[in-house]
Amino acid sequence: MMFGGFARRQMRSLFLLLAALSLPVFQPVMAQEPAPPVLAPPQPAITSEQDAVAANVADDTISAADAADASTLDVAPGSAAYTPLGPEWIKGAPEPGAMTFQPQYTEQGDYALWFHDAILLPLTVAICLLVLGLLLWVVARYNRRANAVPSKTSHNTLIEVIWTAVPVLILVAIAIPSITLLARQYETAPADSLTIKATGYQWYWGFTYPDNGGFEVIANMMDEGEALAQGSPPQLAVDNRMVVPAGEIIRIQTTGADVIHSFGIPSLWFKLDAVPGRINERTLLIEEPGIYYGQCYELCGSRHAYMPIAIEALPRPQFEAWVRAQGGTVGAAEAEAAAGAGTDPAAPVLPGLQEPESSVEGAPGAGAAPTTTTAPGTPAPAQN
Amino acid sequence: MATTADTFQAHHDDAHHDADHKPGFFARWFMSTNHKDIGTLYLIFAIMAGVIGGAVSGIMRMELQEPGIQYLGWWVEFLGGGASDFDKAGHMWNVLITAHGLIMVFFMVMPAMIGGFGNWFVPLMIGAPDMAFPRMNNVSFWLTVAGFLSLMFSAFVPGGTGNGAGTGWTVYAPLSTSGSVGPAVDFAIFSLHLAGAGSILGATNFITTILNMRAPGMTLHKMPLFVWSLLVTAFLLLLALPVLAAAITMLLTDRNFGTTFFDPAGGGDPVLYQHLFWFFGHPEVYIMILPGFGIVSQIVATFSRKPVFGYLGMAYAMVAIGVIGFVVWAHHMYTVGLDVNTKMYFTAATMVIAVPTGVKIFSWIATMWGGSLEFKSPLVWALGFIFLFTVGGVTGVVLANGGIDDNLHDTYYVVAHFHYVLSMGAVFAIFAGFYYWFPKMSGRWHSELLSHVHFWLFFIGVNVVFFPMHFLGMNGMSRRIPDYTPAFTYWNEIASNGYWIIVASMVVFFANIGWALVAGKRAAGNYWGAGATTLEWSLTSPPPFHQFETLPVIEDHHSHHDHIGGRPEKQGARPAAH
Amino acid sequence: MTSTTLATRNLRTGFIALLAAAGMLGLGFAAVPLYRLFCQVTGFGGTTQRATVEEADLAAELARSAGARTMSIRFDASLARDMPWSFAPRQVTDRVAIGERDIAIYEARNNSDVPVTGTATFNVEPEQAGVYFHKIQCFCFTEQTLQPGQSVTMPVQYFVDPKALDDPRMEGVEQITLSYTFHRRIEPAS
Repeated sequence: MMFGGFARRQMRSLFLLLAALSLPVFQPVMAQEPAPPVLAPPQPAITSEQDAVAANVADDTISAADAADASTLDVAPGSAAYTPLGPEWIKGAPEPGAMTFQPQYTEQGDYALWFHDAILLPLTVAICLLVLGLLLWVVARYNRRANAVPSKTSHNTLIEVIWTAVPVLILVAIAIPSITLLARQYETAPADSLTIKATGYQWYWGFTYPDNGGFEVIANMMDEGEALAQGSPPQLAVDNRMVVPAGEIIRIQTTGADVIHSFGIPSLWFKLDAVPGRINERTLLIEEPGIYYGQCYELCGSRHAYMPIAIEALPRPQFEAWVRAQGGTVGAAEAEAAAGAGTDPAAPVLPGLQEPESSVEGAPGAGAAPTTTTAPGTPAPAQN
Repeated sequence: MATTADTFQAHHDDAHHDADHKPGFFARWFMSTNHKDIGTLYLIFAIMAGVIGGAVSGIMRMELQEPGIQYLGWWVEFLGGGASDFDKAGHMWNVLITAHGLIMVFFMVMPAMIGGFGNWFVPLMIGAPDMAFPRMNNVSFWLTVAGFLSLMFSAFVPGGTGNGAGTGWTVYAPLSTSGSVGPAVDFAIFSLHLAGAGSILGATNFITTILNMRAPGMTLHKMPLFVWSLLVTAFLLLLALPVLAAAITMLLTDRNFGTTFFDPAGGGDPVLYQHLFWFFGHPEVYIMILPGFGIVSQIVATFSRKPVFGYLGMAYAMVAIGVIGFVVWAHHMYTVGLDVNTKMYFTAATMVIAVPTGVKIFSWIATMWGGSLEFKSPLVWALGFIFLFTVGGVTGVVLANGGIDDNLHDTYYVVAHFHYVLSMGAVFAIFAGFYYWFPKMSGRWHSELLSHVHFWLFFIGVNVVFFPMHFLGMNGMSRRIPDYTPAFTYWNEIASNGYWIIVASMVVFFANIGWALVAGKRAAGNYWGAGATTLEWSLTSPPPFHQFETLPVIEDHHSHHDHIGGRPEKQGARPAAH
Repeated sequence: MTSTTLATRNLRTGFIALLAAAGMLGLGFAAVPLYRLFCQVTGFGGTTQRATVEEADLAAELARSAGARTMSIRFDASLARDMPWSFAPRQVTDRVAIGERDIAIYEARNNSDVPVTGTATFNVEPEQAGVYFHKIQCFCFTEQTLQPGQSVTMPVQYFVDPKALDDPRMEGVEQITLSYTFHRRIEPAS
């Protein structure tokens, strides 16, 4: 018979398979060179580290001045005190042809990425290669031509104990960083940290700032043409970004107004479901100013694909300027917290009866089809 | 084993004139009480459902080939949904993903593995004349068919923003209750009721058959591993499916009768639905893969001409997987708002499953170690299974970490993971079993050449489709979206191209079956030779309509592994004859 | 052979199996009250506790003798999408001594021109605080009906159990959010 021929063909095929599997590993490296710039950004795609830092610093000083102005002038909403970040600030967004995670901009994200890249990935690749290697060895060594008489071994207590115990040890080793990561992700925020509530609606997001007067910013997906024109990634860009202060711990709370949505930002290693009837909470510390894109990660109906999230992290003064531009107040939370227990501060104007913009506007552009021009009725100045 | 096989041959020859008395066409195929006929019906049904489910995934892959909505509007109108608009197109997508998931889980993998191979070979392998409750067996099958029809019907009635049920196969409340107005979701839920009832009856049948109807001498610890896998699977079905039935019944009453089990407006909790669903849903994934483990164990032993290595470890690894499978469900809900202790527990418990799974992988390799491997198509598929299931398994370990899952949850990484364990795990096992037993079932040989071509095309195809999904998921692409930001185009395009390789492989598959049925060589009783030692090889191919009317006796003086996969010592010299 | 015996045995096994399935079906339905009970007892998912005035007094005494610290409480208000009300806390945050009873006021107004009945769901974050957050009196215990244009103030009387100080899981928790969501009661028929 032709067992040998069979075996040899199999061997060759298995090597072919190896080659086929390794192909995608090398392909994108080649493919990225010509970079079919689907997302042709008007800015040089990668600014050097120094440039970025310089821009950051420059921006900081300017904005500090702006903010000072703003606080004295008590600017009207929509005035120029706050300028939205341009596309050169996009930091958390998918890359064409990328094969791994987005760069991380939170401490937990850095740790999780390290955990994945330094422990999980090598381990999983090693296990796959071990199994593949054993299979190839068995195929090469124990085919019918090479080994006509099979052995009768069907037990070996030692090896069975080993291949039960070693995986246990490996899993224990994995569990240590895994549990550490979980513990870090569940650290709670200080009492005075800024709180933002993200509400999932079919099919847009609302961001409420209860510490800043309780205004709600409605974020609809930006029309594709408009996004491309301003250099933002289509289907991730939104009309109104969720603006947050960078470099400080903030408290993100999520809830759903109708069905379950999920608030996820890959570059911040953050995902939390927005469940109707309850609130969920995690802390978030974005390390540097920038724009970080995310989207809804729980099937929520026909426009599930069209409810992106764009977080704009700004230095504190610029953030405060933005809050004022939204008609919000700054410092109320701190003042109130200082007021202490018991003393009812005679109901300062404070949030009062919160009028979510969505109800005012009759849910403005509520999940407007991305083909229409962007949310015409949105009250906040269309920033990008 | 050959000696006993000869003995049984004699038995069945005695009974032959009785055994092959078959009823007429209608009675045979529509009122069947014969486990082999019902198994055949299940297999044919699974193939048809698989073609539909595969075609649905074709529409999905075409749509995902580039950003934007290209084909969905056409399908809305084609399926009678009226003039398409943006919402209907988006809803169409959700209907497709829902249908693909439900069809592949409930109407392809489960019918093929449990209904098809289980019905065919559990009685044969334990030396039983038929299943314990032949008539109930028939009821199970037709309930499954009715469930499938109900699901198909749901695509043509309103389900909210368009026709059909667009809730995902998980049917999460409140999207499936207040979020989907119209009868489509009711029909989809009813479809699950029917399929679930069929499976519960089937599970009862398997448990009874395996526990009560083993041939004399066939102790539990002598049962072939495929039978073990079906026994564990049947218990999982029996304990998990009723919980799903309860959950979806409450969905139905929430939808139609004003109850508020999962509606916060009445004090219900949508998260509870997820707990109930995944209490069923996680055992369900083992229901889909355990029979595959059993098939691969039989095949690896057969073509190594060696008994299965660590038989008891293999059997109890499956029991362990089944048991642990019931206490890890919330790893599907890591982002729903669990507290840290809960998440830590489920992280740890989930990782424990890797241990028995590892035992199985290594035992298969050890079975082949020192063996005399013959690379017939079933073994090639089984080798593909072992490797690809390992790949899917290790990404499962990655996802088990609750902290890592915060990024990967509901991304394409998850899609890649479960297609590696199911589309490559379960489906490779099904094809392995199919080529292993097809001549036994049909009496005719398929082409080994075409089977190998099928394997390589399919192997390349599924890897091209699903491997890039890891990259997409890590880079942040959400699941269940028909449209995406242009940065995801590169890998989506590659994945979509891979689909056509799979289609090509399936053309080869159907050509192979067609050729075999029309012109295939007659298959002998034990066509795989000395390595094939379980009882089905002691019968003709195809086996007589009624077999084992005189029960075979399993000789007592062999230790179990001789029976399970090995040869009696006295035949040690036999391979030299080849 | 003893085929009748086999048939009987099969029937018995099959019956037991179906009984087990029926039992699991029952457990599936029983999960609804069991889950609620489990949440109420353990505070799972941030479920708050109900307390009597006596228990509150006892807790206050305990706390005073222990010299307990203070805790910041945040009040959150959400509305289901079909709920035509305004709903907000009068104060977004407050600081209370652990163990001390305090009252928070929510305000609601019916903005529609029909009477609307609402029911509130609630939970606290972080979730481990649920078992220590006791409500003595709450608008969420009953349905609220508001006439068109009617405004009401709705008090919540609560305290934080001083036992929280002994729980390592509560270490570092500086603020507890108490969240309410008002849903429109499902009308049998309009």
